[in-house]
Amino acid sequence: MKRTLNFASRNIKELIRDPLSSIFALVLPLFLLWIFQQFKIPNEAYIISNFTPGIIVFGFSFITMFTAVLVSKDRSSSLLLRLSASPMKSYEYVLGYFLSSMPIVVIQIVLFILLAMILGLNFSVNLLLALLVGVVVSLLFIAFGILLGSLVGDKSAPGVASVIVQLVAFTSGMWFSSDMVGGFFATLCNALPFKYCVDILKGIINGNYDNILLAFIVFFAYLIVVTLLSVIFFNKSLKSDKK
Amino acid sequence: MIKTVNLCKNFKDKKAVIDLNLEIKKGELFSLLGVNGAGKTTTIKMLSTLSNPSSGDIFIKGENLKENPNKIKRIMNLSPQETAIAPNLTVKENLLFMAGVYQIKDKTLKVNKLLNTFKLEEIQNKKAGILSGGQKRKLSIALALTNDPEILFLDEPTLGLDVLSRRELWKTIEELKGKTTIILTTHYLEEAESLSDRIGIMVNGKLSSVGTAKELIALSGEKDFENAFVKIATGGEL
Ligand SMILES: Nc1ncnc2c1ncn2[C@@H]1O[C@H](COP(=O)(O)OP(=O)(O)OP(=O)(O)O)[C@@H](O)[C@H]1O
Ligand SMILES: [Mg+2]
Repeated sequence: MKRTLNFASRNIKELIRDPLSSIFALVLPLFLLWIFQQFKIPNEAYIISNFTPGIIVFGFSFITMFTAVLVSKDRSSSLLLRLSASPMKSYEYVLGYFLSSMPIVVIQIVLFILLAMILGLNFSVNLLLALLVGVVVSLLFIAFGILLGSLVGDKSAPGVASVIVQLVAFTSGMWFSSDMVGGFFATLCNALPFKYCVDILKGIINGNYDNILLAFIVFFAYLIVVTLLSVIFFNKSLKSDKK
Repeated sequence: MIKTVNLCKNFKDKKAVIDLNLEIKKGELFSLLGVNGAGKTTTIKMLSTLSNPSSGDIFIKGENLKENPNKIKRIMNLSPQETAIAPNLTVKENLLFMAGVYQIKDKTLKVNKLLNTFKLEEIQNKKAGILSGGQKRKLSIALALTNDPEILFLDEPTLGLDVLSRRELWKTIEELKGKTTIILTTHYLEEAESLSDRIGIMVNGKLSSVGTAKELIALSGEKDFENAFVKIATGGEL
C-alpha cells in the first residue's frame, strides 16, 4: 500500500504540473456552468439541478484524458519499464493511477456544486451524497483513461481521449435529452454509459430515485468491465515490452 | 552471484544474444564490451528482468530468475541505456520517489547523500525533464543506487558525461567495488580497462572472449587493449 501511495503521489505531481489540465478539468466546466445559467434557456436540461450533474460528468471526461496521457507517456518514456525491474507489482500501478485522480475529482465536484449553489441550487443533504456518489462515478472515467493509455501511444492519446470528451458532451444528455433526436443517436446514447452517469447524479441531487436503479445497474456493469479491461490491457502493455 | 546458462534472445528472426554462458562473482566489476548491436543491452535487460529470455536460464544468488524474480528485484537496480526518469518531477522528487518504490527507511538521509555524491544539489529543484543529457544520466545512475543494490547494472553509464563528471563517476564506482556486483557496458575502452576486474567481449550476440584486460591482450597477441579489442571484435581479421 505504501508503494501504491508513493506512486500515486508522483502521479499527482505529474498531473497538476501540467497547467492545461486544471484549465480543462476545472475552469472550462465552471465557465460553462456559469454562462449557461446567464442565458435562462427555457428547457428542463438547463435547470440548475439538472445541468450541474452534466457539468460534473463533463468535468470527469477530462480526467479520462489526463489519465490516458499520463499512462501512455509513462509507457513511452520507459519509466514503467525501469520500474518493472523494481519490486512494484502491476496492481500497485493500476491502483496508483486510480488514487492519483481522486483529489482532482473531489476538488472538481466541490467547486462545481459550490458555484451551482451560488447560482441558485438549494443546499441539501443530497449534495453531500452527490459528492460521495460522484467519486464513485469518476472511477469509470479513470478506468477509461487507463484503458486508452494502455492501448494507444503518447502521440495519439490526447486525440483518442478527446473522443471521450465529445461522446460525453453529446450522449450524456447534458445539453439536450436524447429523446429529442431519436433514431441511431438515441440508441447510441442508451448504449453508452455517460447518460446513466448523469442520470445517477441528477437523481441524487433532485432526491428523485425513480430511474436510478437502472442507471446504477448499467453504470456498475460498465465500471466492472472497463476496469477489468484496463487492468488486462495495462498488464499486457507492460509484458509486450519484455518480449 | 550471477550465472547464465545457454541464454538466448531472438527478435523475430534476429538473434540478438546466442548461447551466453557467463559467471560473475560477488563483488566483481564486469564490463561487457562490443560494437553497436553486439547484444550488450539485450543481455543487461535479460539479467535485470526487463526482458524475458527466449531460452536459457539465469541464476542469481543460486535462485532461478524466472521462478523468483521478486526476491531478486529487491536487491538489484539498473541505469538503463535510455535514461528513464519522471520528467515533471524535480531531481530531488525523482530520488524520493525511487526511495519510496524500494521502501527505504530514512528516505531524506539517503536522498541527500545521493544528491551530494552526484553533485546534484544545485539542480535538485529543477524538473528532470529539462536537464541536460549528462545531468539526466547522473540522475539516472543516482536513482539506481537508492536501494544500495547488491547487484547493479549500468548500461553505458558514462555516455554524455563531461570529463570531470566521468572521473567523479569512476570514483563512485571504485568505492562500490568489492561490495556491489557491477555489470556495466561502455564504448570507452580505457574505462573498461582501468575499472573492471574482468571484461567480456560480445561479437554478433556471442560472448567471444572473457578475461582480465591483461589476459585479453595476451590472448590476442596485441600490444595494448585497444588493439586487442579491435582484433577480438572483428574476429581477428583486421
Ligand atoms: N526490441 C527489439 N526488437 C528487434 N530487434 C532488437 C530489439 N532490441 C534490440 N534488437 C536488435 O538486437 C541486436 C542487439 O542489440 P543491443 O541493443 O543489445 O546492442 P548493444 O550491444 O547494446 O548496442 P549499442 O552499443 O549500440 O548499445 C541489434 O541488432 C538490435 O537491432
Ligand atoms: Mg546498448
